[in-house]
Amino acid sequence: MPRTKPDFLNILRTLAEYKIDFIVVGGICAVLHGAPISTFDLDVVHSRNPENIERLAGALKKLNAHYRESHIAELKPGVSHLAAPGHQLLMTHFGPLDLLGTIGKGHDYKELMGDTEELQITRNFKVRVLNLRTLIKMKEETGREQDKAVLPLLRRTLKEKSKH
Amino acid sequence: MAHLKIHREDPSKSTLLKETRSLGGDGVDVTLIRWMLSKTPAERLKILQQNVRSILRLRRAKNKA
Repeated sequence: MPRTKPDFLNILRTLAEYKIDFIVVGGICAVLHGAPISTFDLDVVHSRNPENIERLAGALKKLNAHYRESHIAELKPGVSHLAAPGHQLLMTHFGPLDLLGTIGKGHDYKELMGDTEELQITRNFKVRVLNLRTLIKMKEETGREQDKAVLPLLRRTLKEKSKH
Repeated sequence: MAHLKIHREDPSKSTLLKETRSLGGDGVDVTLIRWMLSKTPAERLKILQQNVRSILRLRRAKNKA
């Protein structure tokens, strides 16, 4: 368990400051939609176009990002890692950040863009999040036990949201 | 007058009724969902951060004990 006090707001603020194209997914996406769940990391799917990757490398330097796995903890994510479709599991100044090249059955940033919405976080920045319906679909696709466990709550949140 | 049935609300029944109504058929507590939906996205994020910090504090305290 990381010793860093998580501050997801500041991770998001830094990514927005560096004009990174990304989509918030996972537990924090669910929370932003109103689901009362807990999560210990920020999951984002980033655009893997070369300009975005350059900007992202800058943001990660500012965040002092490095790999969480103890045997590669000193390794910092490079451009080739960020361009890959796999997952980069990082630790930053402000807590854990997972950069996901793809989610579910290989859906990347470009493909997911049509299923996103922007949420105003503070006066100064907005973030793009996967819509709740698609988040549920991704968790169904993944089929992991930890994802299945949270599905009833997400489905109920979607139902309650639709009443507003 | 044969019987006079006085209908009084049994307090334990009404509490139980309220609790089961707040759980959907799927067992999900909608009261928490409705509470979160009453917050802005920024407020929801702050709530999560506070919860995570509390959990981490509890775990550290437990490990020290």
